[in-house]
Amino acid sequence: MNALEIKNLTKNYGGFKLDNLNLTLPGGCIMGLIGENGAGKSTTIKLILDMISRDSGTIKILGRDNRENIQLKQDIGVVLDDVGIPECLNSKQVGKIMSHTFTNWNDKIFADYLKQLSIPPNKPFKEFSRGMKMKLGITVALSHNPKLLILDEATSGLDPVIRDEVLDIFSDFTRDENHSVLISSHIVSDLEKICDYIAFLHKGKLLLCQEKDILLEQYGILHCTESQLSELEPSAVKGKKISPYGVQALVLRNRIPAQMGVSPVSIEDLFIFMVKESV
Amino acid sequence: MNGLLLKDFYMAFEYCRAFLLMVSVFIAVSFFGDDNIFFIIYPTLISGILPMTLISYDERDKWTQYSGTLPYSKSQIVSSKYITGLCLGGFSFILTMLASVVRMNINGVFSLSKLLFIGILLFILGLLGPSLLFPFVFKYGTEKGRIAYYLIIGVLWAGVMMFMSIGFVNSDTPIMNIGSKLVFINTVSISIALIICAVVIALYLMSWYLSILFYRRREL
Repeated sequence: MNALEIKNLTKNYGGFKLDNLNLTLPGGCIMGLIGENGAGKSTTIKLILDMISRDSGTIKILGRDNRENIQLKQDIGVVLDDVGIPECLNSKQVGKIMSHTFTNWNDKIFADYLKQLSIPPNKPFKEFSRGMKMKLGITVALSHNPKLLILDEATSGLDPVIRDEVLDIFSDFTRDENHSVLISSHIVSDLEKICDYIAFLHKGKLLLCQEKDILLEQYGILHCTESQLSELEPSAVKGKKISPYGVQALVLRNRIPAQMGVSPVSIEDLFIFMVKESV
Repeated sequence: MNGLLLKDFYMAFEYCRAFLLMVSVFIAVSFFGDDNIFFIIYPTLISGILPMTLISYDERDKWTQYSGTLPYSKSQIVSSKYITGLCLGGFSFILTMLASVVRMNINGVFSLSKLLFIGILLFILGLLGPSLLFPFVFKYGTEKGRIAYYLIIGVLWAGVMMFMSIGFVNSDTPIMNIGSKLVFINTVSISIALIICAVVIALYLMSWYLSILFYRRREL
């Protein structure tokens, strides 16, 4: 079963439009939502969670319409960019509140994550660092046996060691084929590390949604001269950067002559090339 | 909804200690004072609208958005604030009434009708504040909601003053005398007060319903 199915989703704010978005996240997978500030990542997440109303389109979570029943949110763990936990509460109080909120809340899992991520149980949230706040948000999201995790910039503010630890937790989470993750982040390297699927959003439009391994197989970076580039089939070139030292082009590997050396592309470079090309 | 109520009580205990202390002082003053209506009504009046302060903190801490990700409907989120208000206001109401009973007995002036009237007055004023304020807050947020509330109160007050100036409402009308002493007790019948109570309850329920409607349409 698909964890998430979005069809023809549109939301118009006047100055910004999320335009006809189509996404499918299969069960047991992690999808990374990549986009610049204002691309529509948070709007997409808010629409999925029915925090804002859509103009058109459909959203299905775990096979059910996202507006069908509020109890659907029992199966979703969410971490927002601002976390949203009241500043005066400590971790213990947050645990008690959530135990009265989620029917599947597991105190042991919560306590284990607090320990694993070194989160103090009695310190007020306002005294936490940004990274610590995120860690508590992640702990809450994981402690009620959710089937789908929705993470909006959940790794930002974490130091590299903790970020790595948290990414491992997300990867472990999807070992169960009923568990899935939708994660948006500016730190593309994080997404490249853990995601099975990558979706690029740019100015409210979906540029691409594809399996990460296929993307890395399909695309490559070609270093050449301008005249060499002009000899290539135009549809093979998806983006280019011209400098006095030569040309760097994003190309489809299977349309490039074998004798031309094509180097691997990172997801970050792929995104930057595509965004610049679409401007 | 228990999680929401628990969260509000944790927050009320943390953020509203100063308010709660003030409420206790006012109850104590009303206990030793001589029927000063201000000290009697103030604790219940303030306690009833404490959820407004909690909503401000919710907005500042981004809980408003976060609560939208939790398995709570918008009507549960709104209702939790009304219930918190009723609990806090109810607690002040009971304390104030107890203080009044003890004070009247100590002074040897116990009067059931007077006590009943204090109760009705507290009840009306305790419910009136949140009834008028909360729908604006749930529609516009605390900042704009507060401004809208003061505008409405200002317009209503201006209306009363205008009617007074043309002689429609006499300044000797009991309701105009509540500023100092309970001298109006003998002039307003309990039955009229009970009718006003019923109207205020209806207004409170309507306010609750309107707040749910407004909040359902609000985008988080």
